[in-house]
Amino acid sequence: MTELTQARTEERIREEAKKALASGEVRAVVGWCATRFDDRTRPFFAETAEECDLLVWNPYCINGTAKFALDDRYPDQKLALILRGCDSRAVNRMLRDKQLKRENLYLIGVVCDGKENPICEECQHKTPLVYDVLIGEPAKEQIYPERFRKIEEFEKLSPDERYAYWAAQYDKCIHCYACRNACPACNCIECYADQYRVGWQGKAADREQNQIYGLTRAFHVGDRCIECGECERVCPMHLPIMRQTRKMLKDINELFGSYEGGLSEEETPALGGFRLDDPDEFM
Amino acid sequence: MSIKKDAAWEPRILAFCCNWCTYTGADLAGLNRMKYPENVRVIRVPCSSKVNPQFILRAFQKGADGVLVCGCHPGDCHYSTGNYYTRRRFLLMQRLLQYNGIDPKRFQARWISGSEAAKFRDTVTEVSAQIKALGPNTKFVGAHYDNAAYQAAKEGGENG
Repeated sequence: MTELTQARTEERIREEAKKALASGEVRAVVGWCATRFDDRTRPFFAETAEECDLLVWNPYCINGTAKFALDDRYPDQKLALILRGCDSRAVNRMLRDKQLKRENLYLIGVVCDGKENPICEECQHKTPLVYDVLIGEPAKEQIYPERFRKIEEFEKLSPDERYAYWAAQYDKCIHCYACRNACPACNCIECYADQYRVGWQGKAADREQNQIYGLTRAFHVGDRCIECGECERVCPMHLPIMRQTRKMLKDINELFGSYEGGLSEEETPALGGFRLDDPDEFM
Repeated sequence: MSIKKDAAWEPRILAFCCNWCTYTGADLAGLNRMKYPENVRVIRVPCSSKVNPQFILRAFQKGADGVLVCGCHPGDCHYSTGNYYTRRRFLLMQRLLQYNGIDPKRFQARWISGSEAAKFRDTVTEVSAQIKALGPNTKFVGAHYDNAAYQAAKEGGENG
């Protein structure tokens, strides 16, 4: 996208944000604002028309906006979200999981041009899939043919090498739950990891508890993952978290048919249903 | 695996058995005085879909060498659809564990009905022999659980 259209998009975002606030139905508009670093933005709640002028649109708008809607599950007023393709899938995810109500959201979709985030290279849906108003021309859906390439390469290693790789990764994990907090599919009101009296999850940040956490989380979100890459982006230890969930997605694609999470509000996640003719291969 | 295999070593296998089919099948095997390896520990669950993937991870951590999940044949579930969920869930679970370096033989799921006492005996014998051939499980084992094989592997500088 050229400099001009980027500036124009930003202008349109501010216009739409002001319009939304002026309607009186919307409490705040969630977008991004500048920070003191040129190459950083941060999530920003614009609550007045003046604050709308602080909203920005540039290649550094990388934080997901959708999950902020979960902070207030029963709001009095609508919340407006500025959505890129991935955020719109996150909204679909949370709508499907019955965590949000569509009437509590006002969605300003923006056709995304890819951000300074490695995951954006793999993006297949740059145009938001759900919105009330769309800024920009709908882009053609892209196919990323190498979606599972890394997984396939990893599968070629021997079992001991694979175990050693993951053990080394889980040794690094500091058990901060940042991946869970950022993930739009991790939308349970109370996470199993916080139910400490049940004892599912130990609190120690050692390999054993990290393995339980990593694999359980992979299994919980694996069939609903929208591949937004938020988990890897927020991980302070740079763990390849999506390699676990993508493995689940790859198997779901192989076993139960083509599947991508968050494409619509009506989809059924793979583990939320079944077919009578599912493969019976290991029985 | 270079762990010295103790001739007396017997695998510890955890079997989650559905109350309505497999547990009854195991009961019938007992009534018929069938003999099967005693290294299987049976846990009765109301339905095979009650088995949470975390049960399996936890079993490996606490020193199980193999885990078996058994339920009714598809179409026979007491709760109509429970075992269809089991089938999907554990197909994915087995592959995820394999991806993380666990031999797929260590985690298996089978359909055994209430009248299939002989199938229960055969399955248990087969799984037990397979896991005996694989040796003690050293992966996903909790460090502070008392597991001689794990400690030996750790001291030997293996992937422990």
